[in-house]
Amino acid sequence: MRLSTVAAAAGILLPSPMPVAAQSMTSTEQELLLHAIDAARSAGADYADGRIIRTQFEAIGAREEMITQVQSSDAYGINVRALVGGSWGFSATQTMTRDAVADMAREAVMIANANNEVAPSETILAPVDVFPDADWVTPHSVDPFDISLEDKAALLLRINEEALRVNNIRFSSSSILSVKEERLLATSEGSMVRQTLFRINPSINITAISPDGSDFQTRGAVVEPAGRGYEYVMGLELASRAEGWAEEAAMKLEAPPVDPGKWDLVLHPSNLWLTIHEAIGHPTELDRALGFEANYAGTSFIYPPEDVIGKLQLGPEFMQFVGNRTEFGGCATTGWDDEGVPAETWPIIEDGIFVDYQTTREQAAWISQYTGITRSHGCSYGQNWETMPFQRMPNVSMLPGEEDLSEDDIIGNTDRGILVEGRGSYSIDQQRYNIQFGGQVFWEIRNGRKFQMLRDVAYVGRTPEFWNALDSIGGASTYYLGASFGDAKGQPIQVNAVSHGCPISLFRDIDIINTA
Amino acid sequence: MAEQKGLPSDDLKSISDRIIQLSQADHCRVNIDSGWRGYTRVATNRITSAGGADSTNVNITSVFGKRVASINTNSLDSSELEAAVRQSEIMARLAPESPEYVPELGVQSYQPVQAYYDSTGELDPLTRAEAAAIAIQQAQASDQIAASYMDVQAGTSTVATSNGLYGSHSNTGVAYTLTSRTVDGLQSGWAGDEANDWNNIESQRIANDAVRKCASWRKTRLDPGKYTAILEPTAVGMLMLRMRNAFNQRTADEGRSYFSKPGGGNRIGEQLFDDRVNIYSDPTYADAEVSPFTSEGQARGRQSWINSGRVEDLARSRFWADQLDQQVLPGPSNLIMAGGDNSLEEMIASTERGVLLTRFWYIRGLNPRIISYTGLTRDGTFLIEDGKVSRPVTNFRFNQSLVEMLQNVEMMGPAVRVAASENSSVSTPIVVPALKVRDFNLSSVSDAI
Repeated sequence: MRLSTVAAAAGILLPSPMPVAAQSMTSTEQELLLHAIDAARSAGADYADGRIIRTQFEAIGAREEMITQVQSSDAYGINVRALVGGSWGFSATQTMTRDAVADMAREAVMIANANNEVAPSETILAPVDVFPDADWVTPHSVDPFDISLEDKAALLLRINEEALRVNNIRFSSSSILSVKEERLLATSEGSMVRQTLFRINPSINITAISPDGSDFQTRGAVVEPAGRGYEYVMGLELASRAEGWAEEAAMKLEAPPVDPGKWDLVLHPSNLWLTIHEAIGHPTELDRALGFEANYAGTSFIYPPEDVIGKLQLGPEFMQFVGNRTEFGGCATTGWDDEGVPAETWPIIEDGIFVDYQTTREQAAWISQYTGITRSHGCSYGQNWETMPFQRMPNVSMLPGEEDLSEDDIIGNTDRGILVEGRGSYSIDQQRYNIQFGGQVFWEIRNGRKFQMLRDVAYVGRTPEFWNALDSIGGASTYYLGASFGDAKGQPIQVNAVSHGCPISLFRDIDIINTA
Repeated sequence: MAEQKGLPSDDLKSISDRIIQLSQADHCRVNIDSGWRGYTRVATNRITSAGGADSTNVNITSVFGKRVASINTNSLDSSELEAAVRQSEIMARLAPESPEYVPELGVQSYQPVQAYYDSTGELDPLTRAEAAAIAIQQAQASDQIAASYMDVQAGTSTVATSNGLYGSHSNTGVAYTLTSRTVDGLQSGWAGDEANDWNNIESQRIANDAVRKCASWRKTRLDPGKYTAILEPTAVGMLMLRMRNAFNQRTADEGRSYFSKPGGGNRIGEQLFDDRVNIYSDPTYADAEVSPFTSEGQARGRQSWINSGRVEDLARSRFWADQLDQQVLPGPSNLIMAGGDNSLEEMIASTERGVLLTRFWYIRGLNPRIISYTGLTRDGTFLIEDGKVSRPVTNFRFNQSLVEMLQNVEMMGPAVRVAASENSSVSTPIVVPALKVRDFNLSSVSDAI
């Protein structure tokens, strides 16, 4: 009750609007996909699913007064994942003929057979409702691919021009990356799901050089990617704000270095979202916790499930985190996942206590005896037509406080602290204990007020102690959705886009180092 | 000789020719990557995913005057290709002029590089599964849990321009890595190889090394601080992979690099590292071969970056070289750090007190002014006392300038190819020695295992 009440007050996690654009996948493509699924089943697959995916990118970039990049890409193909015994096999092809896709499906079954013979295993898929004719489109009002390159170029050049007006600013680069994914999913259980996903990533990086050439400082990460249309970029007012970001870059040249030691830390959501990604999002991935990422992304300190679910106190009682694939503007927001599981929202940390992981159909049964949940949370995703779907992070967000504290209220509660804005250098160990995060802009807080800019700041700590040092959080008016297009995991490595919302937050007595 | 993966050479040439023929732009460039990737992944002592896909991607760059745009597509039928050509031209006409555009290259000559190995190109799912089975059986026999990954890539890349240039290069690569952990999750060990030639991947040795390292590493307390550190070749390679990015003259000339000279200019020619440090790139280096040309078609040859500790040269793009009236110098393709003749055992025996590091994780830039990085040790960290490995110790975060590290070299081992990518995919070939260095900054303890 409490979670949903707070979420509704914040205006987030609302049910997704209805589709607003037509899907482009045709009945011919549906038939081809079903043909592949049939071929896999005929070859001996106990279960099969497949996808036809078209991924389009468009990137335009500018540096100072020139356009440096105009590029688009279009990748299109079909894949099948087949289950034989308890083993998976996967294959994909970009040759969209009936013979080629049938061969591809049989190869997936052949690989599954080979794996099952060498190392047999058991796989139980969680139950899922069948959706024989489902549609979903990212809510948007302007398709980014409908905006001309000229208009985008003009915006970028104006941003750079505004930034370069400021003293000591020597370089300014800016770019807009637009993504459109058209995905058709079919399962041997009878689901057929058509989706079109939009994401957009405006980016600006400004460099100041000291007059004597002895130092340089940058200001980047000024705005966030989003799972939205081009109306999002138009609403950011990038050109009119560029001068302000440039002034911050120039100020960093003059800012005194931080004194290392214990400081109170006010994390603006533009910085905190990445800490959430690394220190809540990743350790609550179930595959990671159970060793499936041991050879790359690592394992998790939130382990073993029977000892931590409903028991591990990770923060104060007012600390609430949800996983969701429903949040408006979220980069991981969707209608259904890559296994045909409908998007949902669920608690991950409730009243400061860890209560659940992120799951796929294969994983749900592994912990259902501790969570009481037998269905998948819908976290399956494959990056494109040639990649096998697996468990990927949904949006993982911290809910704002019940009391609507403002940024000024939070800073006002800080006698000696540092306000950190924007994501900077970030690194965390393979079990998500040891954190070291930087930022873009650092403000010393004295007696409840921003006093002066500092530089070369990073905060370090041990994750459980860090979250338990959370003192207070802002209300719904401070809620902000940060995001990354580059969440990497898996072998072969796959990239996932994901968002994290949070309010401004105050942490007490955090170790600060000087990175110079 | 087996048929190479990816489309046949004649087909690739035909596609390039057809696109250039279709082009109505002032200039056109075509880059094609055609190949196959197969993989097998193990976790919890079972194969969790395995698959493969052929793919061919065509990149078309169209140029009108100085207006440039490119489009990437994997749709290869004639009408789709023609549509892609027209789309790239529409985009190029819309794009503002790029003052830094340099005209497409004409005919070039490239040194021959034999980088395609049939042993890798023909590596089938069953052979990959058998290698996985060795690791699983070895781990199970020691009550450990294996997680491994084998990545195999094979194919051909081509470049063509409307000025008559055509280049084609075929390449294979295989990376195999294994992490073995105890059932209680309190110990972990790692081993891995990367090569162009599958025959140089030693599956049994990798299984032996990872399981042995796991059995020997159960952490004990050690305070953070600056230590004499012996970095195994993989650890060195993971850092040098990052160092590669700093060898850029333009960022140095623009005042935003360690290689910038205060007051303007760059530090080419200056002695900045220990005089035993020699770093270079060489497309023909055995079993670390790379393409002899860049995506623009510029020829690559052997190039020294650091010679006896002195900055020999920095990479210059075609535009920057033109501005300076200097030779074009493509950036590092592979990266080779020449080794010495000290064995790991000799390094350990000569160390009164220090640490032995297996590899790193989550390496991120901290301060480009001193090329400093942070990251964490992983899968085997040991204390050395009185010339012997005395005990396994906790993992650490490091905050370390790579410049200082290369100034503090004490001993070097033979150079070997390493799996330097954190995600263990086939990546930029890196050939490096083990290093013994002074004052490696282990800044805080990591509880991770």
